[in-house]
Amino acid sequence: MANHDSHDSHDSHDSHDSHDSHDSHDSHDSVDTNLSWWARPMSRRRGVQLGIGGLAGGSFLDLFRLVRAARAADPAGRAPSNCILIWMDGGPTHFETFDPKPDAPAEVRGEFSPISTSVPGIQFSEHMTELAKIADKFAIIRSVCHNQGNHGAGNHYMMTGAPPRIPVGCGAFVSFHPSMGSVAWHERPAPHGLPGYFALAGMTRSGGPNFLGAKYAPFVVSDDPNSASFRIRDLAAPRSVEGTRFAERRELRALTDRLPRFEDPAAGDPVRGIDEHYARGYDLVTSPAAQAAFDIGAEPDSIRDAYGRNSFGQQALLARRLVEAGVPFVTINDGGWDHHSALFDALKTRLPTWDKTVAALINDLDARGLLETTMVIALGEFGRTPKLSTLPGQTKAGRDHWASAMSILFAGGGAPGGQVIGATDRLGHSASERVLSPENFVSTVYTKLGIDPARSFLTPAGRPTFLVSDPTPIRELF
Amino acid sequence: MTTPANHCRARRPNSQKRRVAAALGVLLFGASVSAVRAADPGVQAPADRLVFETDIEPILTVRGCNSGGCHGKSGGQNGFALSLFAFDPAFDHASIVSAARGRRLAPAAPLESLLIQKGTGAVPHGGGKKLDPAGEDVGTLVRWIEQGTPKAGPDDPQLERISLSPAPRPLAPGESLDLKVTAHYSDGAMRDVTATSAWHAGEPAVLDAADAKVRAGAFAGEGTIMARYVGTIATWSTGIVPPGSIDAAAVAALPRPTPLDEPVWRKLATMNILPSEQAAESTLLRRASLDLIGRLPTPDEARAYLADPDPAKREKLVAALLDRSEYADFQANKWADLLRPNPYRVGIKATLSLDTFLRDVFRENLSYDELVRRLLTATGSTWRDGATTVFRDRRSPDEIVTLVSQLFLGVRLECAKCHQHPFEVYGQSDFYSLAAFFGRVAYRGTGLSPPISGGEEIVTVGESGEVRHPLSGALLAPKPLFGTALEIPAGEDPRAALVDWLTAHDNPFFHRAAVNRIWGDLFGIGIVDPVDDFRATNPPTNPALLDTLVAEFRAGGSDQKKLLATILRSAVWNRSSLPNATNAGDFRNFSRHYRQRLRAEVLADAIDDVTGVPTSYAGLPEESRAVQLWTHRTPATFLDVFGRPDPNQDPPCQRDPDATVVQALHLMNSTAIEGKIAADSSRAATLAASELPPDRIVEELYLACYTRFPTSSEREPLVALFAREGRSRRQVTEDLLWSLINSPEFVFKD
Repeated sequence: MANHDSHDSHDSHDSHDSHDSHDSHDSHDSVDTNLSWWARPMSRRRGVQLGIGGLAGGSFLDLFRLVRAARAADPAGRAPSNCILIWMDGGPTHFETFDPKPDAPAEVRGEFSPISTSVPGIQFSEHMTELAKIADKFAIIRSVCHNQGNHGAGNHYMMTGAPPRIPVGCGAFVSFHPSMGSVAWHERPAPHGLPGYFALAGMTRSGGPNFLGAKYAPFVVSDDPNSASFRIRDLAAPRSVEGTRFAERRELRALTDRLPRFEDPAAGDPVRGIDEHYARGYDLVTSPAAQAAFDIGAEPDSIRDAYGRNSFGQQALLARRLVEAGVPFVTINDGGWDHHSALFDALKTRLPTWDKTVAALINDLDARGLLETTMVIALGEFGRTPKLSTLPGQTKAGRDHWASAMSILFAGGGAPGGQVIGATDRLGHSASERVLSPENFVSTVYTKLGIDPARSFLTPAGRPTFLVSDPTPIRELF
Repeated sequence: MTTPANHCRARRPNSQKRRVAAALGVLLFGASVSAVRAADPGVQAPADRLVFETDIEPILTVRGCNSGGCHGKSGGQNGFALSLFAFDPAFDHASIVSAARGRRLAPAAPLESLLIQKGTGAVPHGGGKKLDPAGEDVGTLVRWIEQGTPKAGPDDPQLERISLSPAPRPLAPGESLDLKVTAHYSDGAMRDVTATSAWHAGEPAVLDAADAKVRAGAFAGEGTIMARYVGTIATWSTGIVPPGSIDAAAVAALPRPTPLDEPVWRKLATMNILPSEQAAESTLLRRASLDLIGRLPTPDEARAYLADPDPAKREKLVAALLDRSEYADFQANKWADLLRPNPYRVGIKATLSLDTFLRDVFRENLSYDELVRRLLTATGSTWRDGATTVFRDRRSPDEIVTLVSQLFLGVRLECAKCHQHPFEVYGQSDFYSLAAFFGRVAYRGTGLSPPISGGEEIVTVGESGEVRHPLSGALLAPKPLFGTALEIPAGEDPRAALVDWLTAHDNPFFHRAAVNRIWGDLFGIGIVDPVDDFRATNPPTNPALLDTLVAEFRAGGSDQKKLLATILRSAVWNRSSLPNATNAGDFRNFSRHYRQRLRAEVLADAIDDVTGVPTSYAGLPEESRAVQLWTHRTPATFLDVFGRPDPNQDPPCQRDPDATVVQALHLMNSTAIEGKIAADSSRAATLAASELPPDRIVEELYLACYTRFPTSSEREPLVALFAREGRSRRQVTEDLLWSLINSPEFVFKD
């Protein structure tokens, strides 16, 4: 745990070196105030209804900010990118994926051998065969590290860019700061009334909105897209009322909905908000374009097969469809990477299908011309110990939690491929070159999303909080 | 997701979300450094002699240099640190004149000083261009540097206060008015400091302030603005009153069944507002039921009530509702939002025991004073004595005191933990002296071990235990806010003395905060709002109403049920939500009832009730209701969609009242809700299988969902549906039930 000098400033806000802090301080958002149970629905709505003072000022500022952030993201002025985040919960080993150490002693090296990739000089571990063929299409960051060796804390740090405020235990699900996905939705509404942040399979441990409010919680799709009967919850009518009956219900609703609306817009009738939500909801349910986004069955078999006929594969495919439909952020909660024991047995079966799916996703996005504006990122909360260990009661070796090193796959969103950023030392023990922090990583994602990582929000306690305390992105990815 | 991204400026013209407004001021002062009391800027010097405190600090403040996001934040910006809003001029002087080996000033060529070069943007400056190179500020800075950077001496007069003129007067919608800021010094001198004062509007949509000008919004309302001149603030409050006048006879004729009505009617009259009409009896039945027990009346209850000719039937109804067992669950559900810890932190058993404690409190209808006494003087096992869980969660005096002050005093002391409260008189000494009441809390047993934290812990009161000032290290005796320090004999629980102070009838905070919370719950907005943020810059909209409520509450022995009964008997409570010609713009003065979306658990239970199909919650007995859940960890998509607090959050007590598209989609398409509607045991199936004619089916469903009979114009087309070809009686009944559940009349309390 030697290389943490560069992180000394994580807890303070002192490390800003370039951003326009005054501007970021001015930008903030409202939040619920904790301990006020009965916040006021009508009062929040009121301003929206009235548009008091005209939105001109606000939207101009929004536009200005967006343009500026987008320029920062890309000098060529490309549109902000969307993001598919493959969250490898448990903490994937860096040795057996993207940071093999063939010269290390056997108890570190492990059973797998390195393989060459399409990029001379870059080697992956042996099961990354499909990704090795397209190593020119993505970057690997080998030098992000932090100091949180528990799942709960590591999840929080990597998913939000903010270190946990208090010690957090391993199994914990904690939220002290909004997740990247919630911020993305907050800043980048999706078209057709679509939620702006999806979590496939389930919400990640720290994937919540925190002070942004529940409406920016991920839209969780817990049903399995690999199932023949799959459909996304709530976004289409139940099968028993599909078609005519759904249309009839809509007509019927017009008959039963007689609650008087307030004519005067000054009255800020919250019911008018509901009217808007239903109008947009109906648009979503009845729009063939929107419904097509969820219809994974419309994919040709060849594509479905290429992604892999398993839950993870089809989640990746669904993620692509959602991003295609304009959703800015999709997380695939890909659990089970906590290999304390029987590491090699587990990975021999898991890695080949995982490799195939991720490669298929990158290739598919590339073929569709979407890779430039879609990030595909795979990571977990940390890497794993260099030395193989056999825990008491186990017979087969594994690796334990290790936050001093990890590997992150970063494709798309204009990030130059075919590169490895940073390095770990000879034993894969610590990030040793170009040492980077979770803040640098998260700032990179925000910048590519078109969100200024230096902006600040107002927390429930009324304090301005920076989106990322160190808003310096990883320059090699631009 | 309908809400556009909201990047607002400090003085933004539109108040999209008014909570921002309330908290905005805190933003300005939030992050901080200085724990030192604002050293007052010194004197007014001869016109040609400039003094740092008087002439330079105001420039740094009004240009935002020392704000919390820039050089005023802890550690400063890029090595240049100033005290937050000039709380510490000595520090600031040193920082500018001598820190960094004096590199910020160039005495030989003042214009070349880094301070000016950066400020004018001549040298790249992360904060942008803050000074006009040709402006007066730069001239002042140059002359001050030329004079040798003087600062005030110890004998110089001190700034005592600032005042705003002219005195507040009501404004017409859209009217604006120039204000002047005058600084008053200890030697009696006065000085116009308007040009170097900063402005802040609490609610800019109602009353905005910028560049020494207040501007009234388009509608009736009230606002408070604040001016800041270095470390000193002054507020200016007024109402925006539409032109014309209302009929005095109409005001006189308004009903006043309780003492609460007069203050409201009187206030409205000053604003040329007449309250809405009384709401329909069916609306009041539904409202009362939702307000008191969080549950819809059944069709039979509704029918009986609506048919009852007794003129006192509403009072009977309220009394009966307050006796229902659901009352305790509903109240506990709300209080759990305020106190419930994260079970991953304190453990499941401790979470459950706190929940049990709260339900018992409301089941026994303990007085509010007694509830607080039991909570704050809790001792015993976290497994069995639920109130102790609060101390398991909040383990140090400074952690518990922020909760106590916000919850029971309505005062947010969080700021004062680290620095002088930016708006208020509270400082660190006040904060830690109040915290000292908790200095003797002691623990035995197994502490926290997240994420299980399963151990049992015993909370006790030790013989000793102290709280020290974090900077001076001085030992602090327990002292109430604005009170004098108390001597607590060794071995006694100082917390008991704190509760004595809280519950005393001359306590200026405690019962006011309590009644404001109760009122705010029923009306959707407090008399002070947010309900736990009492401060000079956030005054009550109706002080007389607040006082009357406090008097009623105290007279009733702080019995929450009694106060609720009084409020529900008032004419203010029974107003319709429909605005009239005078009160559409009123959101703060209770001239009409403000519609509220039902909270997550209440709506979930309502759907169970109207479909007749209960939800099965993990870990609870069958037939349990959502308001009976004791942890937000119980899986329930519906409750997540409708904004129950996120249990992963710290603290897990933030509830989202907004309506969203996701909610509309869930009501519309959820297979779980459709499963209830279409279940063989559902109300729809039962009604369809009955002998009832279509007309009666429609009636039953309307009573169940809307607590009213359908009108004849509603009945006719709905009854006709039953004759539609190709649809079974059951399908039509199901569709009708779906349709009612999907209507705002079901989802809202009107």
